[in-house]
Amino acid sequence: MTEMAQLAKTSVRRHLRASKRRNVFDSTAGRSALQILAVVAFFLLWEVAVRMEWLNAFLVGQPSGVLHVLVSMVADGSLFVDTGYTVFEAILGFAFGTVIGSVIGLTLWYSAFVARLVEPFIAAINSVPKIALAPIIILWFGTGLTSKVALAISLTSIVALITAYQAAKDADKDLQALLFSMGASKHQIFKRVITPSTLPAIIATFRINIGFALVGAVVGEFISSQHGLGHVIYVASSLYDLNTVWAGLFTLMLVGFLFYQMVEVTEQRLLPWKQQMGGTQINV
Amino acid sequence: MSSPKVQLRLNGIRKSFPGKQGPTQVLDGLTFDIHERDFVSIIGPSGCGKTTVFNIIAGLVDPDEGMLMYRGQEVDSLRGKVGYMMQKDLLFPWRTVLDNVLLGLETKGVDPRQAMDTAREYLSTFGLSGFENAYPKMLSGGMRQRVALIRTLVLDPDILLLDEPFSALDYQTRLYLEGILMEAVETFHKTVILVTHDIDEAVALSKRVVVLSQRPARVKAVHDIALNEHSPIAARSDPRFSSYFNTLCAELDIQTRASA
Repeated sequence: MTEMAQLAKTSVRRHLRASKRRNVFDSTAGRSALQILAVVAFFLLWEVAVRMEWLNAFLVGQPSGVLHVLVSMVADGSLFVDTGYTVFEAILGFAFGTVIGSVIGLTLWYSAFVARLVEPFIAAINSVPKIALAPIIILWFGTGLTSKVALAISLTSIVALITAYQAAKDADKDLQALLFSMGASKHQIFKRVITPSTLPAIIATFRINIGFALVGAVVGEFISSQHGLGHVIYVASSLYDLNTVWAGLFTLMLVGFLFYQMVEVTEQRLLPWKQQMGGTQINV
Repeated sequence: MSSPKVQLRLNGIRKSFPGKQGPTQVLDGLTFDIHERDFVSIIGPSGCGKTTVFNIIAGLVDPDEGMLMYRGQEVDSLRGKVGYMMQKDLLFPWRTVLDNVLLGLETKGVDPRQAMDTAREYLSTFGLSGFENAYPKMLSGGMRQRVALIRTLVLDPDILLLDEPFSALDYQTRLYLEGILMEAVETFHKTVILVTHDIDEAVALSKRVVVLSQRPARVKAVHDIALNEHSPIAARSDPRFSSYFNTLCAELDIQTRASA
């Protein structure tokens, strides 16, 4: 072996060893520390920028002011009332929309004829920006809770429908053939192959639909409402009260984040067979 | 030896599939018999329509012409009477080993408690006790195929349709599973039709071998394999093994030189 080759080999080995050295922050606690640090730094920088008058507090708000608003909203209880309204609307919109959409989407599997017939209509409905329906929905369902739920349903159901239908169409043909050769009826194939194999896709839409349900609720509140975080944000912004706008937005962000965590837990519960067990970790 | 009783007769089966340049004729008047407690291998050039034969027997595909006779009666297919096993193990990933074995029994509407007992009994017979609650992705390829075999046998089908069931496994695992299969066939008195591209496997396991021609497939020849024993290893060391092997290779026009 030449000296050069020997040298190259050693340097490769050294490089490999270096890349195996663990990152000290790469643990649950370490990552959380970094994340909290980033958030604190962001707000500090924002506060300082406003106090030094680099930024205009009137246009961007001020963290200390936002905190002040949040504290007073907690004190008079309005934060919980408004959050409660929005969360309730979003959950109803999410649940009904996802169930209605998934059921229709799955049912379309039964008849290829009907599915092909309605496919262009589904595509047409999907291509309408649903938010544009908001004024009509408020006309139909009034300014109360129903209209916000209806708006959320219009957003979530179509996503669930298209995903469920596509997943049902893509379900493993060989598994269906195997069951059919055992003498299974179409209904049995639906129950034993189609439904369980579409479940991961349907749960994946939960993540998207959580967001859409909140969009439906908040936009509904923007247009006409007496309560809700959307209401708080809309009213405050028309009064140029940026701190209250931020208070509403950060609360919404927290709500969305908690919903997302709940979806994760649901997924682990419903799909135990999807969990990674053992297996080889590769260093790419 | 008295002439054996015919269990299944395929008579003049024709099938073509639509293609870009008009229909492709796949099966061209296929006729052969399967006897009671037979073990028949179907071999032929790749793409000659072996799997289509199975799909017709299992009722997944309808033939254009021809008919199936089962124990003297004309039938549309043997759907519900066959155990179909393919190269892919086709275990349901969301079902545990036990639930996979229960699949067919559930479909048949067997009483759940009785089905559970039967399934557990089969799993223990085939050495898979303790894996009842494992998901398929945790098992090795050989174990998965063993579960698939149990799932097929537990239904007590009249005929086993095995479509290259072992071809994705390594040689040792394959010999092992062939052994398990032969034991099961012996114990449960099953009729087996095996599609394989492996002449070695066909000779070792079968009582008879049906050779199909190029597409559109017809029966080119049927060979009786008279080995003393059909256990995978003993059969391969039988002195007549290689002559059967060579005959079948010649039948398939297998070319071993690059420039033939």
